[in-house]
Amino acid sequence: MATQKVKYSEEDLVASLKRNERAAFDYLYDHYSGALFNVVCKVLKDSERSEDVMQDVFLKIWKSIASYNSEKGRLFTWMLNIARNSAIDAVRAEGRAPIMDDIQEHSAWADQSAVYQPSLSTLDLKALVEKLRPERKILVDLVYFQGYTQEEVAEKLSIPLGTVKSRIRTALQDLKIFFAV
Amino acid sequence: MNIQAYIESGILEEYVLGTVSPQEKQEVECLTKIYPELKEELLTLEAALEKYAQEHQTPPPADLKDKIFAQMNFEPVEEPADEVAPTESRVGVLSPEQKAIVRPLWSMMAVAASVLLAIGLAWAIYEMSDLKFQNKRLATQISNLEETVAYSGTLARLYRDPTYKVVRMAGVAKSPESSVVALWNQQTNEVLLDVQKLPVAPSGRQYQLWSIVNGQPVDMGVLEPAFDGKILRMKTTQPGSAAFAITLEKTGGSPTPSLDEMYVMGSV
Repeated sequence: MATQKVKYSEEDLVASLKRNERAAFDYLYDHYSGALFNVVCKVLKDSERSEDVMQDVFLKIWKSIASYNSEKGRLFTWMLNIARNSAIDAVRAEGRAPIMDDIQEHSAWADQSAVYQPSLSTLDLKALVEKLRPERKILVDLVYFQGYTQEEVAEKLSIPLGTVKSRIRTALQDLKIFFAV
Repeated sequence: MNIQAYIESGILEEYVLGTVSPQEKQEVECLTKIYPELKEELLTLEAALEKYAQEHQTPPPADLKDKIFAQMNFEPVEEPADEVAPTESRVGVLSPEQKAIVRPLWSMMAVAASVLLAIGLAWAIYEMSDLKFQNKRLATQISNLEETVAYSGTLARLYRDPTYKVVRMAGVAKSPESSVVALWNQQTNEVLLDVQKLPVAPSGRQYQLWSIVNGQPVDMGVLEPAFDGKILRMKTTQPGSAAFAITLEKTGGSPTPSLDEMYVMGSV
C-alpha cells in the first residue's frame, strides 16, 4: 500500500486532487484507504457496514476536496476527521452508542493491524511505535482513531482527566520524536 | 505571546486529535497563521499522528476501490473561483475607470451636438427667412421682369408688325428731351402710345394726344398719369392724319390744344 510508483508531495497531491485528476485519487486511495478504513472499522466494529461507510467517506473526500484548506492542517488530518465523523454518524444512526474498546480488545486490533501490514519500509518505525507505553497508546487510539473526547475516555477508563490529557500529550510528543526523521 | 507556553499547554495535540471546542479550533487556526513556530509544531504533530495512523492500517476489501471509483467522474473541474476572481475583479476595477472616461466624452459630445444643432437650427431659420425674403424680392423682380418682357415683347411685336405705322414724336423747344412713339394701325386706325420720355404731369394737369387731320387738330384722348413703361391705347384716328402731337392740358382734356404747352410732335 505504501509503495507507490508516483510519489506526490503533499502540495502537488492537493493541487492534483483539486483539479479532479484520477491519478491523484488513485494515489490517495492506495495510500490512505488502509488507515482510513482502520478508523472506520474501529468505530463501527462491523465490517459490512464499514465498507458502506468507507465508500461514503471516500466519495465525500472526492466531492468536497475543493473545500479543503491546507492552511488549517494536513490533508490526512482533514480526511481522518471525515472518516471518523462519518463512522460515528453511522453508529448513531443505528441508534447505538459507540462501543469503547477496552485495553485488551484494542490490543487485539492493533496486533491484527500489524499482521495485515508487514510493511518493510516501516518496520523500524513500527518497532518504535510499539515502544509507546500501552497505557498511553490506547488513549491516543481512543481519541485519535475513534473520536472519543478526553473527558469520555477519562470517565470510561476511570482515569483523572488531567492524567488522560498529560498521557496523550506525552504520547504525541513521543510520536513526534519517533517520526522526526 | 509566549509561544513555548502555548505549545506546552497541549492545545495543539488536542487540535490534531480533534477534541478542541469550536472556539479553541478557531483560536489555533488563527494563531498558527500568525506564528510560524506554532504552525511548524502543529504540522509536525499532524505528520507524526499521520505516520502513526499509517502504522495501523486495515486494508479495505479489494473490490471496494472499483465500487467507489465507478461512482466518480473525473471531468476537468471548472476553474476554481479564487483563480477566476482576480480577472473578474480586474475587469471590475477597469470598467468604472472606462466609464469615468467615457461618460464625460459622451456628455461633451452630446453638448457639442446640441450646440451644433442649435447653431444649425438658427442658421437654418435665418437662411429660411432670408430665402423667403429673397424669394419675395425675386418674385417681385420676376413679375416686374415679366411685365417688362411682356411690354418689350408687345413693343417688339408692334414695331415689327407692318400694319402699324411708327410715328416718332420728338421733343420740341419746351421739352427737347421728351420722346413718345405713336403706333398707328393702318387697317383699324387704332393708335397706341409708347411713352419713352416725358416729364411727370403736374397735379391738375394731364397730357392729351392730338391728331392733325387736314391742318386741324383732332382730340385723340388723354394719357393716364402712370404712363411709364406702358403701352397706352388711345382713340381711333381718321385715315388722313398727317401728324401727332402731345400737349399739357387741364385734367380731363381740352376741346382745343394749347399750342404753347406742346411737348412732343411728329409728322407721319
